[in-house]
Amino acid sequence: MQTEATPGQADVSELDLVKRCQAGDSGAFDQLVTRYRTRVFAMIYNMVHNEQDAWDLAQDSFVKAWKSIGRFRGKSSFYTWIYRIVMNVTIDWLRKRQIKAGGAEFDDSIQLKEIEPSSKTVPKADPLPHQRMERSEVRARIDKAIAQLSPEHRAVILMKEIEEMQYHEIAESLGCSIGTVMSRLFYARKKLQSTLRDIYENV
Amino acid sequence: MKTFEEKWTAWLDGQLSGRELIEFQSSLPDLAAAEAEKRDAHKLGAFLKKEAGSHALTNEEFFSHQLRERIAAETRTQSRGGLRSTWWTVPRLVWSGATALALFVVCAFVIMTQQQPGEQSEYLTQILKTQVDPGANPNATISIFESKNDNKVTVLWTEGLQTLPADYAAK
Repeated sequence: MQTEATPGQADVSELDLVKRCQAGDSGAFDQLVTRYRTRVFAMIYNMVHNEQDAWDLAQDSFVKAWKSIGRFRGKSSFYTWIYRIVMNVTIDWLRKRQIKAGGAEFDDSIQLKEIEPSSKTVPKADPLPHQRMERSEVRARIDKAIAQLSPEHRAVILMKEIEEMQYHEIAESLGCSIGTVMSRLFYARKKLQSTLRDIYENV
Repeated sequence: MKTFEEKWTAWLDGQLSGRELIEFQSSLPDLAAAEAEKRDAHKLGAFLKKEAGSHALTNEEFFSHQLRERIAAETRTQSRGGLRSTWWTVPRLVWSGATALALFVVCAFVIMTQQQPGEQSEYLTQILKTQVDPGANPNATISIFESKNDNKVTVLWTEGLQTLPADYAAK
């Protein structure tokens, strides 16, 4: 199985894979999916806070990417391009569902404890019960705080802080200007600082 | 011109340098408080990265398997739909529309050129065929207006006509 690649590592053969996809090679697309599925899923999960929805939206995003791969001209990296699709799909979904602040349907954090032993991302040592509980609580607080942000502000803060993307990459992914990205980042940080300060200062 | 929010964000992420950095820092009313907030924002970033950046896709292989099936199904549907509607592609629709329009214009032109003007009334014919004698009516002018919409309406405007031609007779 291929490991998840960072954008830099992926650049070497990514263009080749894209060209093969454009020629109709679904095997090449499968390789691209393998590279990005975990990051895409995690990104969407952080946006919607629901594992099943994140799964479905990630699937929808990749299907959409497969359908429109012929239009990819290589002006940006594939990873920025796929993130643009992911963001469009997820933000559209969030708008349609009109998820309001704190309005997640259920707390999905409990599923963090149910990672399959065969999964490659399984922790090396299981945390103690009280640690797991604490972590669930922290995660729930983060989810709730992020849910109070608009879809666009969520996207910006997650891409910057978790994905460590550059301003111009975020701007490309969201189809907006760098100035808008910076402005959204300013407000998203302020909001999260005010709602999560008591946790991250004590961690 | 960058807004304060943009400058603040750039400063926080270490994207300001040189003169821009000096100018921004000197514009801050309390640099120490701003530095403290900067450290706080970095703490938040590290915290988010650690706590929210680790949500795993628990069944990666099944995810790919399901995706392959969906793509295969979509491709099958597309090719079936494609067979049904192959002809009506967008360029062909445009060409069909343009051809139909051109055909319509040609037909309309042919019909209009072949169309004869409506027959004039007997009364009008008589007048038109009548020559005004310049000796008897030196300054006479005769204008005939015929309604285009309704051939039955004809206006005869005469000016300076002193006598009607002797052979004039309206039938």
